[in-house]
Order: sequence, then C-alpha cells, then structure tokens
Amino acid sequence: MNALTLLASDPDKFTPPTPQELFELPPIGGIYWLTKPVILAVLTSIIVIVFCWSAFAKPKLVPRGIQNVGEIGYMFVRDQVARPFLGKDADRWMGLLLSMFFMIWVWNLMGVIPFIQFPVASHIAFPAVLAITVYVIKIFLGVKHQGGIGYFKNMMFPPGIPKGMYVLLAPLEFASNMILAPFTHMVRLFANMFAGHMLLAFFSMVGFWFLFEKLTPLGAAVGVLGVVMTIVFTALELLIQFLQAYLFAMLAAMYIGGALHAEH
Amino acid sequence: MSVLAEVSGNVTAIGYGLAAIGPGIGVGIIFGQGVQAIARNPEAYGLIRQNMLLGFVLTEALALIGLVAPFILAGV
Amino acid sequence: MSEQERRPEDDGRDFADAAWSAPSYVLSGIAIYGGLGWLLDRWLGTSALFPIGVVLGVVLSVYLFYRKYGR
Repeated sequence: MNALTLLASDPDKFTPPTPQELFELPPIGGIYWLTKPVILAVLTSIIVIVFCWSAFAKPKLVPRGIQNVGEIGYMFVRDQVARPFLGKDADRWMGLLLSMFFMIWVWNLMGVIPFIQFPVASHIAFPAVLAITVYVIKIFLGVKHQGGIGYFKNMMFPPGIPKGMYVLLAPLEFASNMILAPFTHMVRLFANMFAGHMLLAFFSMVGFWFLFEKLTPLGAAVGVLGVVMTIVFTALELLIQFLQAYLFAMLAAMYIGGALHAEH
Repeated sequence: MSVLAEVSGNVTAIGYGLAAIGPGIGVGIIFGQGVQAIARNPEAYGLIRQNMLLGFVLTEALALIGLVAPFILAGV
Repeated sequence: MSEQERRPEDDGRDFADAAWSAPSYVLSGIAIYGGLGWLLDRWLGTSALFPIGVVLGVVLSVYLFYRKYGR
C-alpha cells in the first residue's frame, strides 16, 4: 500500500504545494503569453524608469528627496560593483550595471510584496535574457579589445601550463568560459528565487492550513510554527534578494572587465 | 514485513540534498577560517588566498560530483 | 600584468574572479570528459568509461585551477 499517495489524495490531509501549481500560471485574458510574471516584469521596468527619471533627470548640487535615495544606490553600485572590477572604465558601464541592479532587485522584491508575491526571476527566461545580454557584450568587447584570434588564444591557452596539457585543458577552458559561465550566471539568480518562493509558499500554506482550514489543538502548534517560519524566511528572503541582485551585477561587471583587459 | 513508511518521488534528489550538506559545511569553514586568517595576518594574504582557493575548488568538486552521481548510478 | 604595478585591488579582483569561476571550471570538466566517456560508453557498449570520465574531468579541472590561480 502506498501510504504517501493515499495521504495526498485525502482532502482532510495537508498537501504541500508543487512547483507546477506555484509556477505554471494561467494566461490572463486569453492571451497565451500574458501571464503574471510578464505583467510584473513590465511593471518593474516602469517602476525603475520612473524612479531613475525622478532621481537623476534634474540633478541638483545639493541632493534632496528622491535624488538622495538614487545617489545612495548609485554610490553602492559604483563603489562595490563597478570600480573593483572595471577600474578606470567604471563610469562608462554604470548605466548598464545600475539599471541591471535596480531591475533585478525590484524583480526579486516582487516576491515579498503582499498580494503580488511572485519573484519574476523564478522563471528562468528572465535571468536568461539578462545573462545572454552580458554574454554577447562580453564576447563583442573581448574580440574588439584583444582581437578575434587573440581573445580565444588568451582564453584557451593561459600561460604557465606544460605544453602537452593544453590538448586536454584547452577544451575545458573553452567550455568553462563560453558555455558554463553564462549558464551558472543565470542559474544562480534563478535557483535562489525559485527555491525561496517554494519555501515561503510551503511555510505560509502550513500556517494557513493548520490555523484556518483544519484547526485542531495539536495542529495549532504546527500552524503557529509555520507562521513564525514564514516571517523568519521572509526576512531571510529580503537579504537574499538584495544579495542576488548585487551578485548578478557584480558578475556582469567581472565578465565585462575580463573581456576589456586580457588575463595575465 | 509490513511497510510503515515509504518515500515516493525522485530519490536521487534526496541523495543530492544529503550529498550537498558536507561540501556546504566545508565551504563555510574554508571561507570563514580564511577570512579570519587574513584578518589576523594580512601580510600572509597571498599564501592564505592560494590555499583558500585550492581548498574551495576541491570541496566544490565533491559537491558537483554529487550532482552527476545519480546519472552514473542510473546506468548500473 | 607586470609585478611592480600590482595594487591591492588587483589581488581582490583576481580572488573574486577565481572564486566565482571555480564552479564553472569543475562543471565544464565534468561535462566535457564525462560526456566524452558517456559517448564512448554508448559506442563501445561499456559502462565504466562515464564514471572514469567524470573523475578525470574533475582532476583535470582542479589541476587547471591550481596552475592558473593556486600559485
């Protein structure tokens, strides 16, 4: 007898949320591509554009109001992301890095804003587009600054390795830089948001089920635990969401910096 | 013998979850101790950095072997 | 980069560079040599070459990492 299958089919028993019901959302208004993450992504773009417009459109020498907030974000991205990796080229790339950082952060914050509660980056297509953009920029800059052959030679044949080992190590180096670097770049953001949303959904469903749907004296303790864990993990998610946005922008700066200056 | 409890679904996921505990702790220890070592003796930064990276990549390799282990064992 | 113009920022950047690219090196080692072993297994009808390829890939990627950043 399969105990768990029996449990799952019983309407009186708690069933944890599955990835299908959390992430496969129905299209809105009968248009097949118009789903919740698409709407949230457009909303995020509008928020970030409006924010940057009102913060930086008419800069004053003594910043007031929203310009203060914008400049804190700008200083953070410039000093923590751009300058360590791009050096003197930092200011040229601030536009890309700043908008990328803000957009990913707001994408992720959508996961904890009440009634919205869906992190856009938990659908892999969204981080994939950003990662591929950075990848194309990286290859373009690398070929432009190091030459078509020089770029691949610098990449695949690092100095300080015995001659015979290049046969074994050059394909490894190529796959690492050309295939797996953008892949891990997008998967880091995607997997964190996916897992975070699953955790929050699980604990809040535990709380809802045991406190509202089927309230029993023994189950109430589990329900309270679920609510407490939801609060704790929401706090953790807020930290992770910021860290992932920072990390994505940092890795983008790292790849761009690596393409601009040949490895030594 | 009667079955008291049964696990259904993908067992390899549980296996990888268990296999990731060790490397997770290991990476934490490496970077924690490494940062502490650099803070105590900033002069030895180069040496500490090398050993930190080497230890990190060896530990990371274990975690990633755990990732492919289900595919290896699927054929056996 | 020559030795006399190294600054502390360069060390920090190299470190971040190395630490963040480590997983992709190991994964690419596993993917390339494990994949090669898997293909050879299918071709020759054996079953041992895939695990051997995975271990070889890990060893080679750690060696490459050691040569590139570990000294």
